[in-house]
Amino acid sequence: MLEIVFSAGILALIMLPVFMTFSTGNRNIQLTDAEFRAHTAAIELMEQIISLPFGQIKSGEYESDVIVDGGQFADGPVLFKFSPAEDLWRSMKVEDIRRDGKTLFKKVTVTIKYVAAPGSDRIREFFMKTLVANENL
Amino acid sequence: MRICKNRQAFTLVEILVVCGIVSVFMGTAIMLFTNFRRGFSRSEGTAVLMQDGALFLARLRTDLNSAVIAPDSSVSNPAQLSATSDQLSFMVYSSREARALPVVYRYQASESGGSIFRREGGDSERELIKNRVASLTWQTDLERFIEPEGTSSGTLRISIGLDLKLKMRSGDEKPFALKTFIFPARLNRQLNSP
Repeated sequence: MLEIVFSAGILALIMLPVFMTFSTGNRNIQLTDAEFRAHTAAIELMEQIISLPFGQIKSGEYESDVIVDGGQFADGPVLFKFSPAEDLWRSMKVEDIRRDGKTLFKKVTVTIKYVAAPGSDRIREFFMKTLVANENL
Repeated sequence: MRICKNRQAFTLVEILVVCGIVSVFMGTAIMLFTNFRRGFSRSEGTAVLMQDGALFLARLRTDLNSAVIAPDSSVSNPAQLSATSDQLSFMVYSSREARALPVVYRYQASESGGSIFRREGGDSERELIKNRVASLTWQTDLERFIEPEGTSSGTLRISIGLDLKLKMRSGDEKPFALKTFIFPARLNRQLNSP
């Protein structure tokens, strides 16, 4: 009897990593899905900013309560436009890069905070940065 | 004659008990394995759908970010980007050929799962997603933002709303749904250039 119990225990220990591999695989796929959605949301925000004429890209810090669908970008007139996204918060920072008194570039940094997996309380962050050149110089 | 009275052996009850324990262990292990395998298979299908969707979106985004107003057309006519229920077409600047070429995305709907094709210039059409599109809509939107007391004609913005749903034929996997807006940067800059 003792031998049987021991052998079953050893078998269970051997099988444990196999089952863990499956559940880890599932978790990773869920995380990749959340990462993809965060990445898509970041590009959606970044693209609409860099699509604007250089003069319309106003420097400043924009928090998630301002960056909402239909919200004004830098007190208007341009409005933000977003597809619906749950468990996701956007923020953005636009900085001037100046030389000899002229603004050569705008540095745009988009940050997306998102829930790692459905039902999870772990929050992750995703950053995206780009430079917009001043085409008016 | 020598009789061995002290023979070591399992009784029938011991064997039955052991068989019972082993079958309970094996049954549990098999059930767990089957459940995990089924779950993993579903997740694998979801990952494949996500990969298909991500590749398609990346391709479309890259093309749209290179979209331009064709040199022979009027800047005041932003209908350079046309979308119907089954086709999205625009012009992109090809650095290889040093000229603007038409790019056409075609959606072929089917009950068992639609497909998406892409064609650039005179090249032959290529399949991007095969028999996995449950639904797809793309629509262009042109907005004009005018300063309340401004004298200019305002800022134009063109965007493409994309709503895509992918699913496997088996249908067991979680469908992949994607809804986003794409803002063609180069085209928008051209629209607003003085």
